[in-house]
Amino acid sequence: MATETLASPRPVPRRRMAGQGRLGTLRNWGILLVLWEIVGRLRLVADGALPAPSAILQRLWIDWSDYPPHIWATIEGASIGFLIGNALAIAAGILFVLFPLTGRLARGINIALFALPPIALSPILVITFSGMTPRIILAAIGCYFITMSATVTGLSQTDRRAIDIVRAYGGNRWKVLRLAQLRSALPSILSGLRIAAPNAVLGAILAEFGGGGRFGLGVYLIGSLGRGEPDRLWGIGLAATLIAGLAYGLFSLIAARLTGASRAVTMPAAAPSEARAKGFLRETMIVLASIALPFLFWWVLLYAMGTPAMIAKTPPALFEYLFLSPQSATNLGKLAAALAQTLPMTIIGMAVGLAFAFALAIGSVLYPVIVRAFMPVALVTQTMPLVALTPLLVLMLGRGHSVILWITVSVTFFPAFVTMAQGLSLVSRAALDVPRAYGAGPLKQLRLVTIPASLPYVFASTRLAVPRALLGVMIAEWLATGKGLGNLLNQSRGYLDYGMIWAVAVVSVLLSVVFYQLVVLIENRVLSKRGMSPAQ
Amino acid sequence: MTDRAGIRISRVSRVFEGRGATVQALDDVSLECPAGSFTALIGPSGCGKSTMLRLALGLDHPNDGEIRIGGLEPLAAARQGLTGVAFQDAALMPWRTVEDNIMLPLDVLDKKRGAFRAKVDELVDMVGLSGFEKALPGELSGGMRQRAAIARALVTTPDVLFLDEPFGALDQILRRQMNIELQRIWMESNATTLLVTHGIDEAIFLADRVVVMQSRPGRIGQVIDIPFARPRQSAIFSDPQFHALEAEIAGALDGH
Repeated sequence: MATETLASPRPVPRRRMAGQGRLGTLRNWGILLVLWEIVGRLRLVADGALPAPSAILQRLWIDWSDYPPHIWATIEGASIGFLIGNALAIAAGILFVLFPLTGRLARGINIALFALPPIALSPILVITFSGMTPRIILAAIGCYFITMSATVTGLSQTDRRAIDIVRAYGGNRWKVLRLAQLRSALPSILSGLRIAAPNAVLGAILAEFGGGGRFGLGVYLIGSLGRGEPDRLWGIGLAATLIAGLAYGLFSLIAARLTGASRAVTMPAAAPSEARAKGFLRETMIVLASIALPFLFWWVLLYAMGTPAMIAKTPPALFEYLFLSPQSATNLGKLAAALAQTLPMTIIGMAVGLAFAFALAIGSVLYPVIVRAFMPVALVTQTMPLVALTPLLVLMLGRGHSVILWITVSVTFFPAFVTMAQGLSLVSRAALDVPRAYGAGPLKQLRLVTIPASLPYVFASTRLAVPRALLGVMIAEWLATGKGLGNLLNQSRGYLDYGMIWAVAVVSVLLSVVFYQLVVLIENRVLSKRGMSPAQ
Repeated sequence: MTDRAGIRISRVSRVFEGRGATVQALDDVSLECPAGSFTALIGPSGCGKSTMLRLALGLDHPNDGEIRIGGLEPLAAARQGLTGVAFQDAALMPWRTVEDNIMLPLDVLDKKRGAFRAKVDELVDMVGLSGFEKALPGELSGGMRQRAAIARALVTTPDVLFLDEPFGALDQILRRQMNIELQRIWMESNATTLLVTHGIDEAIFLADRVVVMQSRPGRIGQVIDIPFARPRQSAIFSDPQFHALEAEIAGALDGH
């Protein structure tokens, strides 16, 4: 019965489609597991680097007594960071909506926090702080941008009429916020928290990589990496994925319960937008301030914490390290060489990942069965902490260039695919009906309506992919290839070359920000020409 | 001078600067609504009738001219609880129950909910929503949501009532029923009412006078008095005089 409907092009009732999709997913997972088991048993991949699921579970059972302290340590760091990061993010989001100028000024800080590869910050945090603090900070940073933008989106996309009705009774900004915006932003904030949860776990594990502390899944992972026991590594990866997945699931559940009540009853009518009168001088000042603020922030933070100058490099100290001191030439040379290795890998990996994601997303429109069966798998994979994946790929693919590419492609592919497929599926039926009424086939519909309408999502997923690609490359370099910025970071950590640790961190953040801004620039150009606005 | 309950719009202009295009939404518009009167604003899309309402509610500000609600600035009047408003599409908050939605203006105006208990019950009863006090808007039909919005507009016992196409989303049959109910509610409340509408028959049935607006630039074309005695029965929809007025307004809308 199920196969019959799968093969036939007839429209199928929605309810049955959903049920069948779930069944299909289950079946696909089943097939995947069986294949994996066979491949593992026969030691087909890199001589046993991909153990069978049964072997992994067996090993997990044997190692089980080792796990609790590591799991608790990671959960502790991740959850404290999650609470702090999200509290700050929601407060910041509210501030940015109430006073838009603050949002524009904080833009530099926000993007830097979003784009910074956590792994670059990890050594700095470990040398500056002690105990749980680095993990908490990285977990908090992992949550901040996502929840902050979800809050801003939710608050500012509140139904105009709900705001009007409060304002019509003389309600001020606070009243509008309290009575209309906060509650209506709740679903958006919750979906932000849902994505932030696995990020917090990832952040905590990355901080654990940097050292400092005996317990934590990251510590366990690094410790087990050299011993060549694939089944144990897979077990640790599985545990990390499980924690992240549970956190994701918990917030999905809360969100599903709450969104039912606040789903809009009618379509919102858009208010007429007015072009803002712009003073050139004022605009320039705001942009400059938003660029300067992250540096100021960095400086003030170090000053306030009173970290010794040898360890904590302020912007001028870093400038001296790179340009004025006698070793500057060597330092710069090392940095440039590493950059030359990292940059091409990042760009190629990102391009391949995005192209692959786009192709599959388009394919999923033409053959919706793919989405129904594959999307849940993709969503689960998205919650999988990147770091858990990396050592496994290293085991399977060795330590060459291909491992970097694989890691970069895989970290950019999944989130990009999810965003693009969602964008493509949001294209309205009515818009598709017009070409269809003139007899356009699926390909023509795709070209005329679906692809142009989903452009904002293509850009959104590119923006999302930029920092992830760099992070993926750096993790691979750190753990596997011994080249590029990631390796330089790891080496400098060993040599206690604090200047270089800071230099790599700053360069990788700048690189990420520049890439991100480049995408935003192109996005604004293209979308505004087409009268579209960016998707979040 | 207008008394406490009147609306006075004098020489108001409002210009919207869009991308490249400038839209004169209102050009030197003056209108006076005496206390207790029922005025309907009708006109083609883009003639500025909704803009006028938003200005009167203090949601937007004119480039020129002034608006007084009972002698006060619109926002000041709103803060004193003088005004009530019902928007197109009900605009209920989907997460509040019917009762909570009706009491929203009390929350905005910082009034004690307890003191309005009886008033809310009476309004729920009057708009025929008894038994649905705890329902969420999503569980109601379009007509019921609209009635909840009317009840919300009346909860503060406003002296001035603004209705922005309150039945625009309803079908013709339901609309007529709601018109009859609105007339009854209005006659009990005695509020000065300004109704923005697309429906010629709705305007004639409800209003003391119909203000016909024209677009580009938005301005008042003609003011037509409606002589029917109140309470008006649904029979007047088929009265020859009603048809004559319909024809007159349709003519005015075409710019004759």
